[in-house]
Amino acid sequence: MPRLSIRFLLLSLLTAALLAGCTAVAPAAPGAATAGEATSQEPVTITYFTFSAAPDHMEDLGQMVAAFEAANPTTKVKVETAPFDQYFTKLQTLVAGGTAPDVFELNYENFVSYASKDVLLDMTPLAGADAGFADVFYPLAYKAFQRDGKQYGLPASFSNVVLYYNKDLFDAAGVDYPTAEWTWQDELAAAQKLTDPANGVWGEFSPIQFWEFYKTAAQNGCSVLSADGTTSTINEPSCVEALTWMVDKINKYQISPTDADMAGVSDGDMFKQGKLAMLRTGIWMFDSFKDAPFAWDIALEPGNTQKAHHFFANGVAIAATTEHPQEAWAWAKFFTSSPEAAKIRVAASWELPALNDQALFDQWLAITPPASRTVVFQALDTLVTPPVIEKQSQMQDAVNLLLEQVKSGALTPQEALDQAKTEIDALLK
Amino acid sequence: MIGERRWSKTGWLILFLLPGLGGLLLFTVLPILASFVLAFFAWDLLTPPQFVGLQNFTAIIYDKEFWAALRHTLTFIAGYLPLVVSLGLGMALAMNVAVRGIGLLRTLFFFPVVSSWVAVALLWSWLFNPKYGLINYLLSLIGITGPGWLFDPAWAMPAVILTSVWKDLGFVLVLFLAGLQAIPLDYIEAAALDGAGRIAQFRYITLPLLAPTTFFVLIISLINSFQVFDQVWVMTKGGPAGATTVLVERIVRHAFSYGEMGYAAAISWVLFFLVFGATIVQFRVQRMGKFDV
Amino acid sequence: MSSQSIPQQSAVRSQPQRKNRHLGAAVLRYLVLGAGGLLMVIPFWWMLVTSLKPPGSVLTVTPELFPRQPTLESYQRVWATIPIGQMFLNSLIVTAVSVGAQLISSAMAAYAFARMQWRARDAVFLLYVATLMVPSQVTITPLFILMQRLGWVDTYQGLLAPSLVSAFGAFLLRQAMLSVPREYEEAAVLDGANHWTIFRQVVLPMIGPALATLAVFATMSTWNSFLWPLFVTRDERLMTLPVGLALLHGRFTTEWSMIMAGAVISVVPIILMYLAAQRAFVRGVALSGLK
Repeated sequence: MPRLSIRFLLLSLLTAALLAGCTAVAPAAPGAATAGEATSQEPVTITYFTFSAAPDHMEDLGQMVAAFEAANPTTKVKVETAPFDQYFTKLQTLVAGGTAPDVFELNYENFVSYASKDVLLDMTPLAGADAGFADVFYPLAYKAFQRDGKQYGLPASFSNVVLYYNKDLFDAAGVDYPTAEWTWQDELAAAQKLTDPANGVWGEFSPIQFWEFYKTAAQNGCSVLSADGTTSTINEPSCVEALTWMVDKINKYQISPTDADMAGVSDGDMFKQGKLAMLRTGIWMFDSFKDAPFAWDIALEPGNTQKAHHFFANGVAIAATTEHPQEAWAWAKFFTSSPEAAKIRVAASWELPALNDQALFDQWLAITPPASRTVVFQALDTLVTPPVIEKQSQMQDAVNLLLEQVKSGALTPQEALDQAKTEIDALLK
Repeated sequence: MIGERRWSKTGWLILFLLPGLGGLLLFTVLPILASFVLAFFAWDLLTPPQFVGLQNFTAIIYDKEFWAALRHTLTFIAGYLPLVVSLGLGMALAMNVAVRGIGLLRTLFFFPVVSSWVAVALLWSWLFNPKYGLINYLLSLIGITGPGWLFDPAWAMPAVILTSVWKDLGFVLVLFLAGLQAIPLDYIEAAALDGAGRIAQFRYITLPLLAPTTFFVLIISLINSFQVFDQVWVMTKGGPAGATTVLVERIVRHAFSYGEMGYAAAISWVLFFLVFGATIVQFRVQRMGKFDV
Repeated sequence: MSSQSIPQQSAVRSQPQRKNRHLGAAVLRYLVLGAGGLLMVIPFWWMLVTSLKPPGSVLTVTPELFPRQPTLESYQRVWATIPIGQMFLNSLIVTAVSVGAQLISSAMAAYAFARMQWRARDAVFLLYVATLMVPSQVTITPLFILMQRLGWVDTYQGLLAPSLVSAFGAFLLRQAMLSVPREYEEAAVLDGANHWTIFRQVVLPMIGPALATLAVFATMSTWNSFLWPLFVTRDERLMTLPVGLALLHGRFTTEWSMIMAGAVISVVPIILMYLAAQRAFVRGVALSGLK
């Protein structure tokens, strides 16, 4: 036994020494896989961190990177991804850890948090160097990434949420397709006819979460923050009514599945399986649904007192700490506004390029399914932007928690929103 | 001559002590001290730290989520501890015999212990799946409609507890087996000669003599369960509806999602005092019970 | 460190008990043991069975208890989606380096505590023991800041640094060294041996079992470690298996055959290691309670 242990120890020592040697030789190499390649005259490598590419659009992003690298032979782009629900935690950690990726994706909601902390590179001089650069972009999206008159990001894409519906299920139930005039009541009546427990088919699904809530509230004429953004109006009666409607669809009318009914299967997958007659989700699902074994289309969302639709903008920002601002800028510019990248994006239905280019949109509109792509632009007439505060993550988490507690029946909508107001007001201070 | 010897003594000492002590000072002692200082600051790592005095600690008092997390942690302990100790003891008693295959059985009980928490938590998330999972399927065979488990605020914590009991049972079992085997056989034989039944033997001989082990197991499990995190993070992320938020999850959330390093440090010190209280009990018990591994 | 293996002891002691065993008690015992055994095996069996089904096929209301057509497709898909081979290697590297470093640094520190006379010895040893009482979560925030300052976030150094030394290891090995008789050492000193020779040739060979125990304990805790690697790595090619598994789960929430395939990949090596060194493992785990 002792002899064996000595050998074991020696072996461990040896291994440790060897490995320590390995890591000491190439301390800058980020991973063993790349350690071998780290020879001299390496082109500059920048990292790009994204949530919207994985998992459906990794190949499309790969094509864009290839096109960029072909045009810029001395720059390599290393793509890193994280799922959306983990992305911002990870990004916060990295930026705080001083190892921010050179270029990273930011959505409009979180943009303000980052812009207000001086961690983003001010792009104003870079953008200003190109005459007419700003005009390339869709104006609303371009402005979304400004703060204090400075450009801190470039819009890459925009998207919104519409009402998807399964035509086959509508036909089978003899229900008329949704129209632009539909209200919540029409939606409910149709969903009740479409719900078919025996076959596991549900009439409608809308998630219960922060984003869905502020939009649904807007459809009832309510908003999360006051107009000047200094206080929360989330517990006004029209907001309470909106939340009641959201959870009633699950608990009272039972036209929407509970979490246990879904058993971890995503709403998109349920729609694809033909288990949801209607679904409120983003236009980023177009590509994923294109092979669904049934006919489907989209319509404007039903509202209550008024129409309201999301407007999401994803942009890219450059870390203030980047060692390669020129290369990072080149990639950011290429990714967001080059014709090559836009073409790939349109062909893949990977949201919409945030460009001011009607020809491009016409190409995009011509693709089916869905047949009614114009709905996406119609929805922009009634867009609402997300409520944004500096402590965005905290606000979203707090509201999400309360919404879930209403869904589970632990709190009434009124109780939850009263609490939400208190908490948001505290975060605004 | 003497100076040289002195030097060489110091030299040897430094040689032997440096790797371990240096690492310990840099990666454990320094962070502990820093954590204490940090608890009095507000710092998001991006903008300069601000001294806030006791504000982080007073904020804890008004932090509903902190109290919910503490409550859930205590619920976890209240469910996990009795189950794992009683099942571990029961299994140890049943296994404390020489039967063919007992070695294999002990080997099996240890599989979950050596497996990573992430793998075990994912496995049980799958087993607990309300519609497609094995558990609700087996329940349906005997006519029970299983609950939504991880999707139901009332059942998520029980599911986490059951998973934790399953993973740690082998660990507790081994400690109890060691304790049982330390009981001198003469005692039990003497009791048997005196006509004590098996239950009486257990009640009056085995259990009292096993007390130090039992206490040790209790305290160890208590300390570990205050730090429950991996399984919660993988299985529920604190949900549904915040039903499984726990203390360490709060620390992680504040530090890494919200960039509230100081507040996270403050909560971690609260956790420390809870664990410390349990540790003191452990040391007392160890001295009292002469438990020896 | 003198405890013998458990089965041997139970073999000796069970004989007298057998005589007056009631049949009922025996039946009960076997029922309990059988149920316990099944309870341990079935989940692992289910993990394996699920992983052998093709992706997208496991969401069936009536589960298949035996794979009708076992396939490695899910493993291939996992292999193609995340660099799990690299993650496997990372886990291996991190574990090997950590275990090696912990053994060396702990053994040397333990020698200084057990075999050398110096002034602040007891105070420093107390410091070691004191750090054992602080839960690791207390240090995670400042440790992260430290890594940030060193520029070690998302590097092997950052991943490894906190697990290179072990106060628990020093404590454990010191206890073992204290039980090594002084006479051996005195003989070596008479032969003109210095501290290093005594350490290497006299003390270390005598504490083999303790070293093995520490090695096992360190292997398990490093191989399975989650919280720290989760926050210190971003690059997939730097992640260890548990973090990679969590990533897989985040990406394919309901592709259970793939997630279980990943779980099998992460569980098999440590179980093999366990089977190869069972005795040390059991003792290591029993001792880990002390940490």
